[in-house]
Amino acid sequence: MSANEPTIVAFLCNWCTFTAADLAGTSRLSYPSNVKIIRMMCSGMVDPKYVIKAFLEGADGVLIGGCWPGDCHYINGNYKARRRVALLTEILKQFGIGEDRLWLRWVAASEGNMFQEVITDMTKQLKELGPSPLKGRLVA
Amino acid sequence: MAALPETSQERIGFYICHCGINIAYKVRCPELAEYIKTLPNVVVSRDYLFMCSDPGQELIEKDVKEYGLNRVVVASCSPRMHEHTFRAACARAGLNPFRAFHHVCVREHVSWVTLDEDQATEKAKDLCRAGVLRVQHQDDLFPKTFPVNTNTLVVGGGIAGMQASLDIASAGYQVYLVERQPTIGGHMLQYDKTFPTLDCAACIGTPKMVSVGQHKKIEILSYCEVESVDGFVGNFQVKVRKRARYVNPAKCTGCGECTQNCPVELPNEWDVGTKKRKAVYQSFPQAVPITFVIDKRDRAPCVQTCPAGTAAQGYVTLIREGKYEEAVRLILEKLPLPGVLGRVCPAPCETRCRRAEIDSPVSIRDLKRFAADQIDLGTFALPPVAKQPPEERVAVVGSGPAGISCAYFLVRQGYPVTVFEALPVIGGLLRTGIPEFRLPRDVLDREIEFLRRTGIEFKTGSPIGKDRTVDHLLSDGYRAVFLATGAWESMQLGVDGEDLDGVLPGLDLLRKKALGEEVSVGDRVVVIGGGNAAMDACRTALRMGASVVTVLYRRTRAEMPASEEEIEAALAEGVKIEYLAAPVRILGNGGRVTGMECIRMELGEPDESGRRRPVPQPGSEYTIEVDTVIPAIGQRPDLSRRDCTPGVGFDRRGRVEVDPVSMQTSRPEIFAGGDLYTGPATVVEAVAAGHEAAISIERFLKGEELQANRGEKPAGEDWAPVPAGEQPRERAQMPEMEPKERAKTFAEGQQGLSEEQARAEAARCIACGVCCECKLCVSACEAKAIEHDQQDEIVDLNVGSIVIATGFDAMDPTPLDHYGYGRLPNVVTNLEFERLSNSTGPTSGKILMRDPQDHFKYTRPPASVAILHCIGSRDKNYHEYCSRTCCMYALKFAHLIKDKCGHDTQIYNFYIDMRCFGKGYEEFYQRVQSEGVRMIRGKAVGVTDRAESPDEEGYLVVQAEDSLTGQLLRVPVEMAILCTAMEPRPDAVEVARTFGISTGREGFFTEEHPKLEPVSTPTAGVFLAGACQGPKDIPDAVAQAKAASSEAQSLSTLGQVVVAPMISGIDPDVCVGCQVCIDLCPYSAIEIDDFRGISVVNEALCKGCGSCAGYCPSGAAKIRHFTDKQIFAEIDGIMASG
Repeated sequence: MSANEPTIVAFLCNWCTFTAADLAGTSRLSYPSNVKIIRMMCSGMVDPKYVIKAFLEGADGVLIGGCWPGDCHYINGNYKARRRVALLTEILKQFGIGEDRLWLRWVAASEGNMFQEVITDMTKQLKELGPSPLKGRLVA
Repeated sequence: MAALPETSQERIGFYICHCGINIAYKVRCPELAEYIKTLPNVVVSRDYLFMCSDPGQELIEKDVKEYGLNRVVVASCSPRMHEHTFRAACARAGLNPFRAFHHVCVREHVSWVTLDEDQATEKAKDLCRAGVLRVQHQDDLFPKTFPVNTNTLVVGGGIAGMQASLDIASAGYQVYLVERQPTIGGHMLQYDKTFPTLDCAACIGTPKMVSVGQHKKIEILSYCEVESVDGFVGNFQVKVRKRARYVNPAKCTGCGECTQNCPVELPNEWDVGTKKRKAVYQSFPQAVPITFVIDKRDRAPCVQTCPAGTAAQGYVTLIREGKYEEAVRLILEKLPLPGVLGRVCPAPCETRCRRAEIDSPVSIRDLKRFAADQIDLGTFALPPVAKQPPEERVAVVGSGPAGISCAYFLVRQGYPVTVFEALPVIGGLLRTGIPEFRLPRDVLDREIEFLRRTGIEFKTGSPIGKDRTVDHLLSDGYRAVFLATGAWESMQLGVDGEDLDGVLPGLDLLRKKALGEEVSVGDRVVVIGGGNAAMDACRTALRMGASVVTVLYRRTRAEMPASEEEIEAALAEGVKIEYLAAPVRILGNGGRVTGMECIRMELGEPDESGRRRPVPQPGSEYTIEVDTVIPAIGQRPDLSRRDCTPGVGFDRRGRVEVDPVSMQTSRPEIFAGGDLYTGPATVVEAVAAGHEAAISIERFLKGEELQANRGEKPAGEDWAPVPAGEQPRERAQMPEMEPKERAKTFAEGQQGLSEEQARAEAARCIACGVCCECKLCVSACEAKAIEHDQQDEIVDLNVGSIVIATGFDAMDPTPLDHYGYGRLPNVVTNLEFERLSNSTGPTSGKILMRDPQDHFKYTRPPASVAILHCIGSRDKNYHEYCSRTCCMYALKFAHLIKDKCGHDTQIYNFYIDMRCFGKGYEEFYQRVQSEGVRMIRGKAVGVTDRAESPDEEGYLVVQAEDSLTGQLLRVPVEMAILCTAMEPRPDAVEVARTFGISTGREGFFTEEHPKLEPVSTPTAGVFLAGACQGPKDIPDAVAQAKAASSEAQSLSTLGQVVVAPMISGIDPDVCVGCQVCIDLCPYSAIEIDDFRGISVVNEALCKGCGSCAGYCPSGAAKIRHFTDKQIFAEIDGIMASG
């Protein structure tokens, strides 16, 4: 992908946001191809090191998608994700990764249109921000 | 990139599916296959038209054998669709499918959402590369199988729920059918006829209800709700709240005598408010189960507020019905002194009366007095008395309200009680502290006489004190003692001159007057204090002949503790109140009071009571001339009380120390209460304390636990709504003597309500608690089935599958105010029309217009009717969806009106377009049109009663555009029917959470796949049926119910389920035993192994959410198939293009 095209690594919960991505496809709702989806069972299983790894490998943005509060398939995994992201955001700032590069969004299984909006908005914002400061510097 | 073993044995096959053109039209599949071939360890890379087809799967199997593949990656549709298919293919080829296979989604996530071909191809390459890297780190996994519990839970007893239950039960499996309503049946049974065949809904519905009710394999849990669901497919644990019905189903015969006697009426939900039902009711005559139910909300605020818990709503209702004897009997359940409390109670019940939201509180206290005054207690039948061993005697010390009450409730329980009273008269402060003009002696005497008749033994002139202590009573054979000696001692002013002749504490004045002792007041009287005792003292002084009576109070009117009524009465009678003034010293001459020096006060900071503290203003002293000074600044228990009760604790203000719940003192056999414990308080609080002590004493005598199930007053505000449209009515006022007249006499000033006044006043009650607990139903029920003490129960069920059939709600069209619903009496909803047309409805099946004056009265058939389609459906402001049934039932309505009201009735259907898609539907449309029903294509925009021409006068005018002719229409009709939208239930979201399913944008439950899995949900073992999934008619609901039941039966018949092996595992060599994961696990699936000091996963409980793996600081906890190596490889693969 060319230099001005940001790469988004998306960790999506199987039950809500991954399904919403499927629905966006079934409904033929187009969005930028910058997002690359990794399927997780729950937003609560997204280990902070996966996010750090993605940034270290040069991702310009990371999206964690989970179920709406109260709707978690595993009772409360999304709340755990929220707590971890709050902490992780603080850590990432130390590496020059601002909070606008790590997005946590609740997208329900029926909200294909919302998934489209999130990806479109995030891509647009990352383009405005420019490439990640870690890009090309810390590749393992 | 993540490192692989150096001498890799990996042999990967890659397959990109064209999916016809679905993928290939954006992703250049051959190019992709060529690219993937260049990656390390990829042995075969192919593109193919349909990978999911048999030849596609065989291709994989063949390649595995031919090329010795041990890993397979397929890029096609979403793994949620075909992951399973390809895993099976790998398994057939002899590989462990979890180790060997990875599925990449290039259709939903790439070709269908990417516009540009180059971008789509590049994105597909990234994802496929990630998949190829990931698959090399996958491990062997072995799914577990669990047995399936063959019981099924069906939630919702409408037509879908009933059908599903019958089908499953007929296959031989046990069904639990949970229904929220008191009866099964659901909406279908509310309807009159069903389209297009015009079958009577009851004729085809009630046999279903009966079959469900009689089926041996179906247990109906009606009036119940599912509280929680745990477990997983095949093994759910369900908790069901069985709401208290207050009627025992084993005894109820369904005779309906209870309903005949119930005095509470409210709109019937089953008839959507078109007619009334009683608080004890059955939804409709064919209800299953037939058991009646009592609609009991939280106790009414008046009952909750009453310290004694008197059934205020109950006796008010009984008075409305003219049942005064029953009213008094009900009062006597909680209060032994109805006439006394009907006069002197400060009526805390009225402070929270919700009638005040309309006008003013109901005069509950005056009604109590009215009821008591109607009854001759001399001949009143005594309350039933329980039998107890005769030697369990109890002594009560003090005959005030607390003592009397304790004695009364113990006697009713069958215990012999003796009340010891120091004075020669009975009644305590009721007699010696409340002046006669507020509480006539004959009222008190009558009630005490009645109590004597119940069996209480009174011993007057029998002080218990130094000479005869409670220990003497105990040695005389009393097994327990209740101390209620009150708070008699007047507080001292603490100023000079207090011992002068002419200073007379208020309580002494009242007592001497009451006992007929010699007592007089001078011409000029000053009463000091602002409480009720001060008011009683000043009004008594007035009646004793004083010409100037002044009350001195150190704060302002706003802080005065006396009741507003008493202050008003005193002022009206001529008492002067001097605010912000306090005595400094009492002046005397020759030992007699001649005057008083006072000082002005001002209000400072609030003190601990929350009232602003009065501060003397230096230099503001002034002197007044006075003959009698009456201090009434408070009272307290007589400190000498301590002497009669060795071993019982008292505080420094002389108040006895007791357990606040049981009223037990530090000596277990001695109880105490009333003013002796609280300090000066109200009569009703003393009565309440006496009752509590009686309960404790009985438990003590029986050796039972004193504290169990006590101490918590009923709370909660789930009350009946304040009725809309109730007109304000004035609160009843008792006739009263002129203030100047009554100030001359000790006769009672207030004369009590007339019967007419009382019944009208009682009718102002809005029945907050619905059931008023008057207990008339109890005496009416010969089967003894009514059980007012029932509590909600939790029932535990174990089931293997769940069918959700919770149905829909008809939209309330009130917010669409342009249609005038709720304002125009003959604008009705479809459901109201169904009830009008139904033979069990308000008009016994006649279609009649509503009387504009009376919501529940119907007059004559309409001569013209408009039927308005799509109210709230196909409307961006409410619901965008089509409710699917309205066109057809609108046609049915048209037919029924023609049939029942005569063929000359004018009928207009206002529609957007007609949707008559089912079998026989179009034919029915044709038939109804041929009956002369006018069809107007155009949605009605409003209904108004404002006439624009004489022809419209007195009619409802429907405004619409006929979109076929382009004309604007105003159509005058007599009745308008709104075909309202089918809506999700208001609590659908909570229900979805309970069952782990989801709701769509409109709030209906979402099926797993809109076409191929219409009754499954993302939660295995939970299925959908009926209108909870989306608007549908009866045939569709039944078909879906049968589908859901077949899913449930499949599970049960197979007898086992395979559970995905993607669960947590903790590496015992890495775990340091920090135990963080234990708190994180939402399923309590992790335990600490104390011996090894590490955490261990219980695989039967783990669901694989990964909460532990996402946190584990040592990296010991991992979710199988989602390990760090696998995810890292995927990230590497995605980012490798950079």
